[in-house]
Amino acid sequence: MFHVSFRYIFGIPPLILVLLPVTSSNCHLKDKEGKGYKNVILVSIDELDKMLHIDSNCLKKEPNYFKKHSCADKKEAAFLNRAAYKLEQFVKMNITADFELHLLKVSQGTLKLINCTKEETVSKEPKKNDQCFLKTLLQKIKTCWNKILRGH
Amino acid sequence: MHLLICTTVLSESLVGIDCMNLNKLQEEKYFIKTKKFLMIGQSKICVKLREENLACKSVEIVHIVKPEAPFDLKVNYRQRANDFEVTFNTSHLQKKYVKQLMHDVAYCQEKDGNNWMHVNISNTRLTIPQRKLQPDAMYEIKVRSIPHSDYYKGFWSEWSPSSHFKTPEANSAEEMNPVLLTISVTSFFSVVLLVILACALWKKRIKPIIWPSLPDHKKALEQLCKKPEKNFNVSFNPESFLDCQIHKVDDIQSRDEVENFLQDTLSPQLEESEKQGLAGSEHEPNWPSQIPIITSEIFKGELPIRSPGGNASACNPSMLPSFWAPDCREGIRSGSHVYQDLLLSSGTTDNTMLRPFPHQSGILTANPGVQGQPILSSLRQNQEEAYVTMSSFYKNQ
Repeated sequence: MFHVSFRYIFGIPPLILVLLPVTSSNCHLKDKEGKGYKNVILVSIDELDKMLHIDSNCLKKEPNYFKKHSCADKKEAAFLNRAAYKLEQFVKMNITADFELHLLKVSQGTLKLINCTKEETVSKEPKKNDQCFLKTLLQKIKTCWNKILRGH
Repeated sequence: MHLLICTTVLSESLVGIDCMNLNKLQEEKYFIKTKKFLMIGQSKICVKLREENLACKSVEIVHIVKPEAPFDLKVNYRQRANDFEVTFNTSHLQKKYVKQLMHDVAYCQEKDGNNWMHVNISNTRLTIPQRKLQPDAMYEIKVRSIPHSDYYKGFWSEWSPSSHFKTPEANSAEEMNPVLLTISVTSFFSVVLLVILACALWKKRIKPIIWPSLPDHKKALEQLCKKPEKNFNVSFNPESFLDCQIHKVDDIQSRDEVENFLQDTLSPQLEESEKQGLAGSEHEPNWPSQIPIITSEIFKGELPIRSPGGNASACNPSMLPSFWAPDCREGIRSGSHVYQDLLLSSGTTDNTMLRPFPHQSGILTANPGVQGQPILSSLRQNQEEAYVTMSSFYKNQ
């Protein structure tokens, strides 16, 4: 019986402590009214959309990445944070200087508006010229922002 | 000693701050032009001496926006509306970020110096009513802009280049359009003319149409019967008809029936005359010579004869007027005759007189007996009455 109580006292609480960060969100949104998004980030997303020439079949096939990471409830800020880091990987696609600037504005602007306690680990780099993935990512970012603003 | 000012801009690196140096424009004025401004969050401006930051200041770039000055300011006078239309252009209409501006339009009389009137508008068009301006005066007008949104804030832009315009004189504004003047004078005179004509022709023409008088039988009759010509000889004297051929009819000849027989209209008249005729049967012998021939187109077609045929005994004396009816038979015969249109004769059986009435089916021969006398006398009396009426009418004329 003494051994059983030890198990419960010293076994379970550490387990809870370890698992807690996994379940809890460590990001929160600073710009709750979305002024920075509407006046700066959205302009850049629209400009990038115009520059990307993608066929209509692209948006129908959703990459696996978005099945793992989605704009779930109470995890919108975390998704945007992760998406901003993902965007940075496309900076070296070298389309045009303006294209690069707009990408930076979206990613760094998003990071400025979100405060995360934990740094995001960079996942596997996508194919460099995967414009379809980039377009889908931008659409997901836009949708997630609209979801946040509707909720407020 | 070298002073450098740097500001935080977009960086290719995820972590860290990139600095860009400002260029010296004038003494104590530094300048930088770049697309790399991140318009979210604070930016830091530092004064550096070599590598050391002497002083830094954080600023929100979106709160220190100064728009570009408007241009192409034009003033257009609209005579019909009696106002001045002011239009101008601004480069911010094509920009992506600072699109919403407030414009300040200022105008004043040139001789008046500093008495500027200000009007704030959000679009690039303004209308100034003429009554707000002095007539026959020179005016100066200019415009400037400031950011007007919930995100971008800043300062007034520089004034646009001034534009000058002159207001029209007071008299010219009151001048009427010559065409309009002509039309108004013409319409006035036409109205006056209409009033005069209406008064003049009221009794003769207008009133009878608008308020027609109730018809008078005497006047109506006068209108119906035309005034005879001066040399027109009208006479109902039987001697004037001596040259006319009179054909008497003795027999009834059965022919096809005639429709539309007005039995009811004749029967009351003839019944009444029949009663009178019973007492006056002695008129019968002299009757052919006394009774004139009357043809009246009024009766034409109203009294079609049905073809009689059959036994005379079937006819009732009271129904004699209805020898017009199909009940009467051929048994009714006499020396006197009755024509459809009251044409009477005393002899011949020639029925050529009936030619004008092709739709008649038969010719009746009236019974010279008692049954016939009341009819003939009553008819004769009606004819006399008609003669009297017509002759008196003629005398009145």
